[in-house]
Amino acid sequence: MTLQILLAISAILFAFGLAATLSRSNAIMILIGIELMLGAANLNFVAFWRFSENPAAMTGVLFAIFSIAVAAAEAAVGLAIIILVHRRIKSVEADDASNLKG
Amino acid sequence: MTCEFLKACSADPMKFLGEWFVLLPALVLLMAAGAAVVMRNLIHAALCLTLSFIALGIVFIALGAEFVGFVQLLVYVGAVAMVIVFAILLTKPERLTKSVSAFSGLGPAGGAAVGFVVLAALLGFIFTSPLAKKPLPTPASAPVADIGQALMGDYVVALIAIGVLLTAALVGAAVIAMEDKP
Amino acid sequence: MDLLERAPIELKSWFLNLLGSFGVPQGILSVLSAVIIIGTVIGVFLGLFALMSVMERKILARAQNRYGPNRVGFFRWRLFGLFQPVADGIKMITKEDLVPRTSDRAVHFLAPVVMMIPALLVLAILPYGRDMVPAELDAGILYFFAVGAGTEVAVFMAGWASNNKYSVLGAMRAIAQMISYEIPLVMAAIIAAMISGSLSPSAIVAAQGGFAWGFVPQWFVLTPWGFTAGLLFYIAALAESNRSPFDLPEGESELVAGHLTEYSGFKYATFFMAEYIGMFAVCGLLVTLFLGGWQAPLPFLTIIPSWCWFFGKVCFVAFTMVWVRATLPRLRIDHMLAFAWKFLLPMSFAAFLSAACWHYAGRGPLAWLLSLAIVGIPYLILGTAFTNRFAISRRTYQFSE
Repeated sequence: MTLQILLAISAILFAFGLAATLSRSNAIMILIGIELMLGAANLNFVAFWRFSENPAAMTGVLFAIFSIAVAAAEAAVGLAIIILVHRRIKSVEADDASNLKG
Repeated sequence: MTCEFLKACSADPMKFLGEWFVLLPALVLLMAAGAAVVMRNLIHAALCLTLSFIALGIVFIALGAEFVGFVQLLVYVGAVAMVIVFAILLTKPERLTKSVSAFSGLGPAGGAAVGFVVLAALLGFIFTSPLAKKPLPTPASAPVADIGQALMGDYVVALIAIGVLLTAALVGAAVIAMEDKP
Repeated sequence: MDLLERAPIELKSWFLNLLGSFGVPQGILSVLSAVIIIGTVIGVFLGLFALMSVMERKILARAQNRYGPNRVGFFRWRLFGLFQPVADGIKMITKEDLVPRTSDRAVHFLAPVVMMIPALLVLAILPYGRDMVPAELDAGILYFFAVGAGTEVAVFMAGWASNNKYSVLGAMRAIAQMISYEIPLVMAAIIAAMISGSLSPSAIVAAQGGFAWGFVPQWFVLTPWGFTAGLLFYIAALAESNRSPFDLPEGESELVAGHLTEYSGFKYATFFMAEYIGMFAVCGLLVTLFLGGWQAPLPFLTIIPSWCWFFGKVCFVAFTMVWVRATLPRLRIDHMLAFAWKFLLPMSFAAFLSAACWHYAGRGPLAWLLSLAIVGIPYLILGTAFTNRFAISRRTYQFSE
């Protein structure tokens, strides 16, 4: 196994997340896409750590841990916003939240 | 009764199942992620997403980063997936099936096209880069004790910053989602 | 005595050596060794589940002044009704498996399976006796909670796929309860891990070994912070395993049977089994973290094998859970969540601080008093606040007397 395979898996995961974020209009689906992209980034961190010259430094592992923590915070805030928006406009479609459009 | 087999597996997962120990969960990961993206039913999408989180955690464990794998399972499966599911249930699931309309004017085809272009570019770089041709080095592991020492030593500022961020985010989330009091 | 202590290990190696002498290759033997261990652990816990299912009913019955199940026996021999689980099992398997027409069939089918997997997986890291840990993991405690998170997914799947409003409500309650009580649970576990300086269960058990003055065991539960953390863990464990007084998700007076409403037959039995095995697992973790694991309570009692001590302690904790169920009424949902966030969480922080002070004050008598004060003062303040807030006014009955 080479680093290429892991990076390719991560790239495919990232592309899935990107496609979901761009093409779905449901705010929760957009969030799911973002989570997939974050997962792809974490996979890259761990993969590069595994193939690094000095794995004892554990930089990639620690970065992945911090990134997971940030992702958790992002999910909590994102879903709170979705619930608030739903309460105001009775919809979770991103297109319906267009009050600021001129 | 500590089993030599399980012990050896956790010490060097690659030894017994070879590359498949990584590739098999990775395959599940990709299939679940793909399903999560295309599912019409939001709940099914969220469950597929949960499966992909689990598979990603197993990939981490298989790569030797067992602490990250467990944290991934604990945070994503235990918290993020449940929060997503709660949000779906709290935002009336009647309109679950309509979700093909376009955000940012792209539409499903446009989104898929952009994703494909980005994927092609990424894969192009990955497979032409000389860096990526490196063979697998000797088994690496990240012992929990060392991670703890690093977090409390060199990375302590980052750890505290993350703590502040999480507290602020969760309090903020609670305030945002709170009912407006007149 | 030493033979009995190592009996399970010796038995396994004897069997494997026997097979080896018949020319079975080494690779198969090592896989077989794993299979034997996994099979033994699952078998023991299934046996405990069967025993528990009848003993719980008998203990509850005794608490309520009746006999409980005492009929089912083997032909002529009644055996105190100990064959009840067999009858229950036959009933569950032969019962019709109902699936609602509007349910989400795939998810409805998968939910019991998903429920069972984490319940069995968490058994891997418990130290059942001296040198008897199926999987020695560096981050064993973290593994326990990481895998246990899968239960929430299963409960949600069951509730949502049933397409029944009571199921969904029950599942949402169950998840809210699990997430709320997971925090004091993990905090209490972290305290034990912090004092013993390791996330590995066997290291935590080892840290509780030895006897002070030759006869007082050094279990964590015998220190002020350890007692508090152990009690917090116990309460949170009750809630995590959906047991009375926290069995709101299945509160039959409001929600029929919560997320289990639309399940019958073997699927229901699977849920039931997974819940009980999960309860035993969390009892085992409690024993490992605070009650000294497989260590004997007194020096001369070490002649009894370590695994007997472990399972004896687990059964004792399970017995107290049944006792609590027989004693306490069910809580109201808002009281229950308020209890988790406003009482258990602050108390777990206090216990955390107390444990740290105990360690840095030298673990002596002074440290003991200091940690007692750090735990006691918040307890008094919170306790008074809570009693005043939810004070139960004296009931007056108009027509009685």
